[in-house]
Amino acid sequence: MESHSGPGSEAAGLATGEAATALAAIGASRSWLSDRVIAPCWFHPAFGLLAGAVIAEAEIRSVMLFAWSVAVYTIACGALMWWNQQRVGVAIQYFDWRTRAVYAAHVLALTGLIAAACWLGLGREINGAFLAAGIVAVPLTVVFGRWTDRLLQVRLQAS
Amino acid sequence: MNTAARFDEIVHAPNRLQICAILSAVDSADFATMREALRVADSVLSKHIRVLHEAGYVDVHKTACAGRVRTSVSLTSAGRTAYAGHVAALQAIVSNEGLQPGVGLRSPVTTSG
Repeated sequence: MESHSGPGSEAAGLATGEAATALAAIGASRSWLSDRVIAPCWFHPAFGLLAGAVIAEAEIRSVMLFAWSVAVYTIACGALMWWNQQRVGVAIQYFDWRTRAVYAAHVLALTGLIAAACWLGLGREINGAFLAAGIVAVPLTVVFGRWTDRLLQVRLQAS
Repeated sequence: MNTAARFDEIVHAPNRLQICAILSAVDSADFATMREALRVADSVLSKHIRVLHEAGYVDVHKTACAGRVRTSVSLTSAGRTAYAGHVAALQAIVSNEGLQPGVGLRSPVTTSG
């Protein structure tokens, strides 16, 4: 055990350079963590393809097939998220007000896309409406997913 | 929220500072993830986590998962306070404010590491 001459003696003896080095080490750890939580490049495209496939599959107009595709989509999304959680190795508050807003915007955009496809495909009987909506859903999901990742990265570095 | 600057010798050890820096940003982190972050051996990481645990700064959780025991670590509220105070103390030193009268030293349980 070291001896101390009084409260604050250790801190008082700490050189500015050593304190700066310690703060830099904290920054480096945070950078490492924020890099780690960023999903691999294929992660959001995989979500996009899953969402796009479910929407495009509605073009076939089979309720049973659609129900199965929604079930597969749900299981696959759960598996992807579980895998990513294992990969990152940390439990984190994923949502703050910013990421929640982006997520809500993503859900609204997809809902609007599906509503438009229903109106065009079912209401006006235009062929290919669901297929087109499914294709648009892929980049939409990628953009919103990467946006959320970026917000999380900035939050981790700033905290 | 302003955190009182308080130099903490337990937190200040380089490996423990890194552990706290990571844990302060998350709810919990796996032992394997921490080992990867610090690039140290299991025994070294265990030693530092034990020091933090004995000081009441971290909680260690063990869960059985697919036949394996998974160890995760999280900062306690006392650990978060100590870490925040220590960072504030470091920032005070770097910004050449010097130590304020309230900047004290937390007596360490151990100073190893």
